[in-house]
Amino acid sequence: MQYVKANSAAEALDALLKAEGKAIICAGGSDVMVDYNAGKIAPEMLVDVSRAADMQGIKIANGKIEIGAAVTLTEIATHPEIKKLYPSLCKGCGTVGSLQIRNSATLVGNVVSAQPAGDGAVAVSALEPVFTVLSKDGVREVAMADMYAGFGKSKIDNSAEVVTKVTIPVPAADEAAAFQRLELRKSLSLPMLNAAAMVKVQNGKIVWARITMAPVGVGPVRAQEAEAFLAGKEMTDDVLAEAGELALKNANPRSNPLRGSKEFRIATLPVMVRRALEDCRAQLQ
Amino acid sequence: MVLHTTINGQAVVADVDPSISLAMFLREKLFLTGTKIGCGKGECGACTVIMDGKAVTSCIIPVMRADGANIITIEGVAKTPTQLHPIQEEFIQQGAIQCGFCTPGMIMSAKALLDKNNDPTVAEVREALGGNLCRCTGYVNIEKAVFAAAERMRKGE
Repeated sequence: MQYVKANSAAEALDALLKAEGKAIICAGGSDVMVDYNAGKIAPEMLVDVSRAADMQGIKIANGKIEIGAAVTLTEIATHPEIKKLYPSLCKGCGTVGSLQIRNSATLVGNVVSAQPAGDGAVAVSALEPVFTVLSKDGVREVAMADMYAGFGKSKIDNSAEVVTKVTIPVPAADEAAAFQRLELRKSLSLPMLNAAAMVKVQNGKIVWARITMAPVGVGPVRAQEAEAFLAGKEMTDDVLAEAGELALKNANPRSNPLRGSKEFRIATLPVMVRRALEDCRAQLQ
Repeated sequence: MVLHTTINGQAVVADVDPSISLAMFLREKLFLTGTKIGCGKGECGACTVIMDGKAVTSCIIPVMRADGANIITIEGVAKTPTQLHPIQEEFIQQGAIQCGFCTPGMIMSAKALLDKNNDPTVAEVREALGGNLCRCTGYVNIEKAVFAAAERMRKGE
């Protein structure tokens, strides 16, 4: 296998295109290297973007937060401004794998690897993220809903496209986001369930709510029924509990021998969603 | 490919196969076998080394990522060949070792934490060591050893 250290996103794309489908992007490498060592993938070339200069850093300006695709989960989880603006994103990014994994793995990688319940992916999914993608046709912007093709399958072709950054809006004072996770232990364990929520509340009533949950389908799944129910309502205990129950209408959890049966997940998902909404409410009080 | 890196303070130039991991390079090419390979998937922490100040699982780091980086392995922790680091001494003193396979990784994770924060909370120690599995000790003595070492490091050791 050949190795190319890309100094920029353009260099990475150039290397991919020259390799004509035989090279893939490697950011943190915590999925790519494991799959490569297990023989699940056999690229002829790795294009390492971890040091690409224009894919680094977190920029907050003009109402937007731009997170470079090479930014590690640790950088996000410990970023002083992100901690204030979106504690939920810090919590989600700060629970992936272990500290060692977070020191190299990236948020964008957590989305592109397309596992159903990436904690970073679920946390960011409630924040209406937009992904900037570089390909031979130029630059395009992709919404969260258009990132996932299936279980473990991204719509991003990592042999021909480079995600350069993810952009989320700076929350307004009347908005709050939360992330909840149910796990077997605190480190090195995939979630049994996770859920994220973001709400906007004006004059005591919910203007809009976004709720995402996993693993209950392909990628983070929107609880659309619950979201529609919440619009225009006050955040009372009863309303939040009802929203939790309604989340099941969009959820199709599977049984997992380690992380909970379908029945267990159906019984606990409403609690996770309710707690996420309660956390939003507490932040706005 | 030619790799230029710094390992335990020494400049290293080596011709490497870029498809191998940093852990394999350390063990098989440099014979720094203190770094252990347990799961080979970044899930057990036995292969933890410090790269540019941060703990990473070297079994899933492509070796060429070490290019231009500063790596510290367990072999680079002791102050001199005859004087162990306070973290190593406290692992011995507190009985934080049984079979010892996880110990190099545990010590590297502890060092990465204490080098930046020599007065950590219990939560900070547990976050730092949460990626290192031990199947013998039950972790209690490991945690004690890290706090004992932190205390000594605060005194300038």
